[in-house]
Amino acid sequence: MKTVFINGSPKKKISASSYLSAMQRLFVKGEKVTKQLRNKNDYESIFEELKDADAIVLSLPLYVDGLPSHVLAFLEEAEMFFRENDLHPNLYCIANNGFIEGRQNEPLMQVLENFCFRAGINWRGGIGIGGGVMLNVTRFVFLVQTAVYIIMLIITGFQTGNYFHEGVISAFLQNVGVLLFFNAGVIFFFIRMGIAINRRGKDFGKHYTRILIPSFIFIPFANLFFLIYSLFKGGLFRGWLAKK
Amino acid sequence: MKVILHDLEPSRSEQLSSKCDAIIEADGKYAPCQGCFGCWVKHPAECFMKDKLQKACRTLGRAEELVIITKNLYGSYSTNIKTVMDRTIGASTPLSTYRAWEMHHILRYGKHSLFKVLVYGNITEQEKATFTYMAKRNAINDGYNESEVLFFASASEAESAV
Ligand SMILES: Cc1cc2nc3c(=O)[nH]c(=O)nc-3n(C[C@H](O)[C@H](O)[C@H](O)COP(=O)(O)O)c2cc1C
Repeated sequence: MKTVFINGSPKKKISASSYLSAMQRLFVKGEKVTKQLRNKNDYESIFEELKDADAIVLSLPLYVDGLPSHVLAFLEEAEMFFRENDLHPNLYCIANNGFIEGRQNEPLMQVLENFCFRAGINWRGGIGIGGGVMLNVTRFVFLVQTAVYIIMLIITGFQTGNYFHEGVISAFLQNVGVLLFFNAGVIFFFIRMGIAINRRGKDFGKHYTRILIPSFIFIPFANLFFLIYSLFKGGLFRGWLAKK
Repeated sequence: MKVILHDLEPSRSEQLSSKCDAIIEADGKYAPCQGCFGCWVKHPAECFMKDKLQKACRTLGRAEELVIITKNLYGSYSTNIKTVMDRTIGASTPLSTYRAWEMHHILRYGKHSLFKVLVYGNITEQEKATFTYMAKRNAINDGYNESEVLFFASASEAESAV
């Protein structure tokens, strides 16, 4: 069984879409291939992989309540490709959006279902994930945390002779636990969608989840994130909220 | 201000311009969004790509009434129209708030009145339902008071309904 993971974010690296599809990949068996879909130059090598694909997992961001336009352009070509070659793979979707509510991905899911109908391939459902940017950030927080705690272990080890200081290790594990908790809803559905894919294209249906933080905490943090981001990029001083 | 965004032949703009204050031609002569958020964090309300959509969000943001004429594509806007929508998120600010009990962005130019979509081309019942739903979602997201979606068999019928 062959599964092709397509990342539909235009970003070159560190996109939420590639983070999420890499996580989903852990729960899928058989031959696995990951392709980036950023522009027209990527079509040919993607179609090459799709010729013998049993399942496709399309991971993409929500743009203005729909699909990013470069993915729409790809689907138009893909519709012809599937029809001309008489191919009928199973399509699963991982949609992520910036806002906290995963359900805001619903129109995107419907468009993909309509696409499958026209292309003659099997719509098998997907996961809509809220707080994609923030989830993407958790992996870097994890790396930074790990580095900080390793340094702390070395320092305490140097001072006390004990390089596995319990206090430091338990503080680290607690932090890992918090990050895992933020991702728990996503992991739960990735396991379930993985099972559906492994059962040779079982229907998964549409499911919505999010980073597990209440929205009244999420929104001020998102605003703080953009404030700091804009401070570094300089937009804060160039009429940040002005009517241009 | 009434703005028309259409993916018809550019030659149709002349006729349409008598019915609105500004026209944006979705002719595909521009690149898709790269997702960098530069139009929020680096050079507000302006895209780093120097093509005709570089400052288009300033026109769309000022629309009291927006009319979109688009070909159907799986119950979504056509690729050319959708690129314009993706490239113009600078019409809102990077800050978020609650709107209609959900998270949405604070608008750079304030609220608008009518979000109207005239869809042409072959379309299934399911796609009609998707389109109507998507336009409703766009209207909330972009701060329009109401949305309206109408379906037509041909581009010329959609055009004459403006
Ligand atoms: C042009 C554009 C439009 C967007 N529209 C929405 C939207 O309507 N709703 C939403 O929740 N997030 C929206 N986002 C945020 C993205 O969905 C979010 O940043 C996502 O995590 C990006 O995924 P990626 O890193 O894989 O590209 C938009 C982002 C961009 C660049």
